[in-house]
Amino acid sequence: MKLLKIAALTATIVGALSSSALAQQKLTMWSRSTSEAFMPTLIKAFNEKHKTQIELQIVPSAEMVQKYATAAAGGSAPDFVSLDLVYGPAFAKSGVLEDLTDMAKSLPYFDQLSKAHLGTGTYEGRIYALPMSADASVLLWNKKLFKQAGLDPNKAPTTWAEIEAAAGKVNGLGNGINGFYFAGACGGCNAFTFMPLIWASGGDILVDNGKRANIDSPQMHDAINFYRGMVAKGYVPESAKTDSGKNFFGGFATDKIGLSPIGAFAIGNLVKNYPTVDFGVTFIPGKDGGRASFGGGDNFVVTAGRDNLQAAKEFLDFVYSLEGQTLLAKGGSLPTRADVAAEAVKSLDERYQIATEAMKIGRTPSSPVYNDIINSSTGPWKQMLNEVFFGNDVKGSVAKAQASMQSILDAAN
Amino acid sequence: MTSQQQPTGAQPVRRRNSRSRRNQLAGLLFVAPALALVLIFFVIPLGMAFWMSLHNWPLLGKPRFIWFDNYSRLLQDTQFWISLRFTVYYTVIVTIAIFAVAFPLALYAERSRPLTKLYRTAFFLPVVVGFGSASLLWAWLLDVDSGLFSYVFAHLGLTDKRINLLADFDTTFWSIVVMVVWKTAGFNMIILLTGLQGISTEVQEAARMDGASSWQRFRRITLPLMRRTIALALILSVAGSMLAFDQFYIIADGGPQNRTVTAVYWIFSQSFMSFRLGYGAALSMVLLVILVVISVVQLRLLRNPEGV
Repeated sequence: MKLLKIAALTATIVGALSSSALAQQKLTMWSRSTSEAFMPTLIKAFNEKHKTQIELQIVPSAEMVQKYATAAAGGSAPDFVSLDLVYGPAFAKSGVLEDLTDMAKSLPYFDQLSKAHLGTGTYEGRIYALPMSADASVLLWNKKLFKQAGLDPNKAPTTWAEIEAAAGKVNGLGNGINGFYFAGACGGCNAFTFMPLIWASGGDILVDNGKRANIDSPQMHDAINFYRGMVAKGYVPESAKTDSGKNFFGGFATDKIGLSPIGAFAIGNLVKNYPTVDFGVTFIPGKDGGRASFGGGDNFVVTAGRDNLQAAKEFLDFVYSLEGQTLLAKGGSLPTRADVAAEAVKSLDERYQIATEAMKIGRTPSSPVYNDIINSSTGPWKQMLNEVFFGNDVKGSVAKAQASMQSILDAAN
Repeated sequence: MTSQQQPTGAQPVRRRNSRSRRNQLAGLLFVAPALALVLIFFVIPLGMAFWMSLHNWPLLGKPRFIWFDNYSRLLQDTQFWISLRFTVYYTVIVTIAIFAVAFPLALYAERSRPLTKLYRTAFFLPVVVGFGSASLLWAWLLDVDSGLFSYVFAHLGLTDKRINLLADFDTTFWSIVVMVVWKTAGFNMIILLTGLQGISTEVQEAARMDGASSWQRFRRITLPLMRRTIALALILSVAGSMLAFDQFYIIADGGPQNRTVTAVYWIFSQSFMSFRLGYGAALSMVLLVILVVISVVQLRLLRNPEGV
């Protein structure tokens, strides 16, 4: 009898301990340094309201992929990671990520989540990553310079011809003022800002489920000629030729650039740090109209084999709530849930509304070798762009990039 | 008699043998720490790198043994051979440039004259700056908008407007060569200086008394007696240049249009941007073999005819 009592007491204590451990589950999460403005606030708000606690560690953006891959191989990976969405397919393919398909589809607002994020979060029909933070590419124009150049400062250009004409007029102001800016030696930046020109004109970069490169297309050649024309006419500053992304934002912030395609992150940054720059925000247009945007940002992933799906759902429910989406927006990320996006940015600068609309139409090429073909500083995308914008052999450079990308895709498939 | 003599004759031999073995063992113990270091920090990592090079070893996912596939793929890798050719071109140019600057500096700094120590320090100063920091400094100097060079050139009327020195291959390449010479000539000067100071003044004096001109003394005495020092400086300079990476990565980002991507930059790119660790290891093994061959050839060419 005594023995039974002891056993019952022990069972009660163990049960209480394990249930309290469950209730106060402490999980680890990594997020890249670009999310430093909103992730700590978001996690703090979540921790304050939930028994599940998340310990956030900010990792330098450039080190995230290597660090996570190495940690996963060594069994010391964090439970959750906010990962640049373009790496979703690569990590999913390697088996590092937990399959989130059932949990994702059980979310009542699943169809409202960013399509760009879900696209790169899906690998071979299964969902491995869900939207965390977002940024969409838009076109900025400088209202003060437009006015000085005799243009309507409140009328955004809607075609390439209108962009070029406006850039020409602004460029004519002289005194170190240029019509247009883009980072000419940055693969990632131009994926963000140059690809939408092609999409909005009806073209695409990767086709057949990301298995075939479609670089050598009429839309690509048109877009190249559009940029080359502005470079040849001197609308683009000399520094753009060698800008590997360091000046991606800084160019427009100088108040000496007429127009620049850039990320929505620039809106908050300009408002906060460069209040004298009077600017407008619009969609990146196609050759004769239309609109497109690159959906960037991070996806939320769960390291496989940890049995953390319940906690993940709890966290995501908070992230996708109006409170979570508002916290993200206030910190500089666009909302990732469409039906609450407008409400989430209501208290912010009204130009965010355009950016949230851009996010809804945002696209992201999905491939396990995205980094290799697009982002890499020695990759075919960056090399081609620099050659075609500033070099002489457009046809040869495009053909070379097409072949090089295809061989990388073939090797990965 | 013979049977009695044998033990007495064999004993010293055994003693000698055991003493020799003891000496060998003691020698081995003395070099053991050094051997252990070489084993842990060179031989084992090298073996591991070779083992990796025989695999399809992605950063993400499981490695797969593929024998010598990485090596056969490497033969078709156009960019690697372009990068290697560029690296050799850079090595030749920069080594000549370094010697062209370091030798006169060493000759100048060798003689005892007022402020000699100050000159030596000034020439050596850039050496203490790391390659990464020096590259960042020069990246600023060469910047078209905020850099010093483009401002000075435009101000002096050498260019119509601010010039982007990193937009063109030639200006990028020569800017980096100048930066590397500025950064490393002082180090080579010190090596050459030690060689110069090792030449007996009596030999020079004797030659002078025999009527040899300064050129003749330099050509017939200084240069031949400096053979080993030059060989050391040359091997260090060539090996360093063949492994160039920081300056091309930080200043030019391999541009314009991937034309300044060195062999190590390509290895870095394949390993850590494209996440092909196995292939990167294979490229590294090939570069290692090339470096060893170049160093052996240099040593043979610069070996003293007397074998000293």
